[in-house]
Amino acid sequence: MRLRRTFAPCPARSRGPSRLRRSGVAVAVVMALCFSAACDSAATRNVFRLGGTEPIDSMNPFVAVNSSSYSVFENIYPSLVQVDPALKTVPDFAGSWQMSPDGKTWTFHTKPGAKWSDGEPLTAADAAWTFETVIKHQEGPTGSLAGYVAYMESATAPDPNTLVLKYSRPVANVLAQMSGIQILPEHIWARYAVGNGKGLLTFTNPAPVVSGGPFTLVKYAQGRIALLKRNPRYYGPAPHIDGLGLQFFDTDDAMITALKSGRLDGVQSVAPTSVATLKAAGLIVASAAGAAFDDLIVNANPKQAADHRELVNPLVREAFDRAIDRNAIVKTALLGFGRPGASIIPPSTGHWSDPTIKPTPYDPAAANRFLDEAGYRMGPNKIRIANGHPMSYTVIMPASITNGYGARSFQIIQAGFKKIGVQLVPKHMDVSAANEALFAKKYQSFEAAMWGFSLTTDPDGMLSYLTCRSRYSLNDTGYCTKSWDGLYAKQATAMNPAVRQRIVYQMQQAAAREHLYLVLDYPDSIEAHSPSWTDLPMIEGGSFSATSKIPFQTVHRVG
Amino acid sequence: MNRTEHLLKRAAFALTTIFVAVTTNFFLFRVLPGDAVTNMARVPHASPQLKHALTAEFGLDKSKWEQYLIYLRNLCHGDMGISFAHRQPVRELLIADLMNTVPMVLAGTVAAIVAGVFSGVISAWRRASVADHLSTNLAIFAYALPSQWLGLVLLILFAGVLPSGGMMNEFLFEPAPFWQHLGDIGTHAILPVGTLMLTAYGGYTLVVRSSMLEILGEDYVLTARAKGLPARRIVWRHAVRNAMLPMVTLIALDLGYIVGGAVLIEVLFSWPGIGLAMYTAVSQRDYPMLQGGFLILTVAVILLNFLADLVYARLDPRIQR
Repeated sequence: MRLRRTFAPCPARSRGPSRLRRSGVAVAVVMALCFSAACDSAATRNVFRLGGTEPIDSMNPFVAVNSSSYSVFENIYPSLVQVDPALKTVPDFAGSWQMSPDGKTWTFHTKPGAKWSDGEPLTAADAAWTFETVIKHQEGPTGSLAGYVAYMESATAPDPNTLVLKYSRPVANVLAQMSGIQILPEHIWARYAVGNGKGLLTFTNPAPVVSGGPFTLVKYAQGRIALLKRNPRYYGPAPHIDGLGLQFFDTDDAMITALKSGRLDGVQSVAPTSVATLKAAGLIVASAAGAAFDDLIVNANPKQAADHRELVNPLVREAFDRAIDRNAIVKTALLGFGRPGASIIPPSTGHWSDPTIKPTPYDPAAANRFLDEAGYRMGPNKIRIANGHPMSYTVIMPASITNGYGARSFQIIQAGFKKIGVQLVPKHMDVSAANEALFAKKYQSFEAAMWGFSLTTDPDGMLSYLTCRSRYSLNDTGYCTKSWDGLYAKQATAMNPAVRQRIVYQMQQAAAREHLYLVLDYPDSIEAHSPSWTDLPMIEGGSFSATSKIPFQTVHRVG
Repeated sequence: MNRTEHLLKRAAFALTTIFVAVTTNFFLFRVLPGDAVTNMARVPHASPQLKHALTAEFGLDKSKWEQYLIYLRNLCHGDMGISFAHRQPVRELLIADLMNTVPMVLAGTVAAIVAGVFSGVISAWRRASVADHLSTNLAIFAYALPSQWLGLVLLILFAGVLPSGGMMNEFLFEPAPFWQHLGDIGTHAILPVGTLMLTAYGGYTLVVRSSMLEILGEDYVLTARAKGLPARRIVWRHAVRNAMLPMVTLIALDLGYIVGGAVLIEVLFSWPGIGLAMYTAVSQRDYPMLQGGFLILTVAVILLNFLADLVYARLDPRIQR
């Protein structure tokens, strides 16, 4: 029966859609396509459409990790202070501030009459509540923001326009910390901070978000878009644009194509390989010395495993440093968009970077001499023998490095090391696995790694990464000494900038002397935008800043 | 074996496969070194307590077996857990992604089936002709192309003409009228759908051609010709319907991947689907998202294979014997 049905003649062909109907559908589709394009461009004319490749991971400041999330928070929430294009700390929600003579009390005078986007008053009490909440739950739900309130004991608002922050000891970088943390509306968030504060992590903070910055977040779709609209109740100068949209792309190619075809007005970051194409397309490519460096980490733990203990030998570390052709890295891997690396505090941080620390020159002959002096003779296959084993080392390569120009840099380093009889073998891993590999067996098992840091202008963050406290989080060298921790604590409480600068220099020299990081390069921050827009300054490595509202307040269409 | 027995046997097999896949997925992701906490605890001035608190919050302080039993218990209640990275229910996140994936991949697969069947039939009917050579070689060429490479080429070719990423114009403050919105999604879907179609149609062409050549040699086709039936009717009404058996398997397998999403295509065109969500979850070590995504993919593939078995049995009753 079933077989018969398979072969049975078909019923008479039913009448399909008439030609008229088919034409109608076709016209409708074409009109929809054309209409959509025309209307879209009109509706978004004064909206700056920005493309990025790092998506927002959460709209909740207690959950978010990615820097793009913090840039959105900076543009929708008030901060006490912000950073201007000259890297100076300037007023934001706080118009002025004073420090007590002992450096332990800071008083901020906030702008009177400010309102949140829902019309509720925005006062110093919101700031006090935010900081108190972070302090209260810093070992748990608010732990990701704990660094911004380090040594803060209390935050109070004696009146609606005064905020008093009390610290257990003088803290040198209070203003830098305050430019990185945003103030949340107490009337929205307080209900989630009850009990153990775990509610703070479950609140998704959905759009429309009650905002106090120059923009309000009106639309957010996970991994796709954050759309910000000008906030008419903002306490500061109104932006020239109606809105700011941040669309996320998973590949650079798609993002760059969207920029070239006019579907975006700007992109957050540009690979050096795309610069020529963008310039040829008539786009404005802006680059600035970035507050970042790439490095080769050679295990600095004195207690490391016996089969690579020679790595702590200063002569070996010196030899490795001289085997790196930094100029070739800048020329070939960065295509000229960067500078050879030297100190762990990049020159873009201004007076914090020690100018006496120069990039180590590429000198394989000297490197060979150092290894000979150390007694590591050349073995078979032109690989030296140290303590009875070949000097062949595994280099942990996290995906965040190899996805960019890192793979090209590594090839140059590998070739340089080959010339001194040292073999480097890359081991590709994702970021979590790379971290675990570094921390394994109390930092005793890894040999080398290639990674990098993005920093802020204030040096405190970078210097803290080499402290014992940062082991198993941001300390990726295994380094831990009392002297470093002592200097770190000293600079952190040095309220006189000149004194602090001296200590910071001293720390940089110690790091360079001990080759804690073999700093490869300082890559430039590169952005691009359409020539239809102007006045979009880059601050601390980008215009979509996590510490300044200024770029998207000043940007406007040309003419 | 009667039909009910056959059905029960296949259903039991499908359920066992799902259970095995759920278990394998659970342990597979945890075999790798590192977890979500490793990344989240990388913040300045992080204390060891923060790491412990995060580990406890995600339940990673419990033994693997305990975590597994909790996972199974929650799954039985339809609870896929909370995403580590987004702190939102996985089910809600994945359903939203699935709603974006299904139309795009379905459109691409249907287009590939239509194109593949048509070119396969033409090839078989005009065997050894120029059309056959052209169609077969094109199909082999398309079949051999990696989807991400083809997508990239299309991206470059259509730069400025078609949107290169995303699912719609995301920069509108007010929702667009229905037709405009539909047109917008349509234009954004052209490149991913086209890539999917071009990479998948070759396989269909080759299968249909081979199956059709076999059928066209059957006696009943000769009889139909002898009876003077028009060629078009012999091909489309008699031969094609019988050549569809291997296609059913192929289509069922491909439809299973509709739910899993075309990962590379979604990543390349930033299409916010389930494939892209899983890709992101891998780098974030977001176990609940990964488990949820792979569970949906597994269930979809197994269910569609189960359905293919049923359809197959109905089309060819000999299979049940």
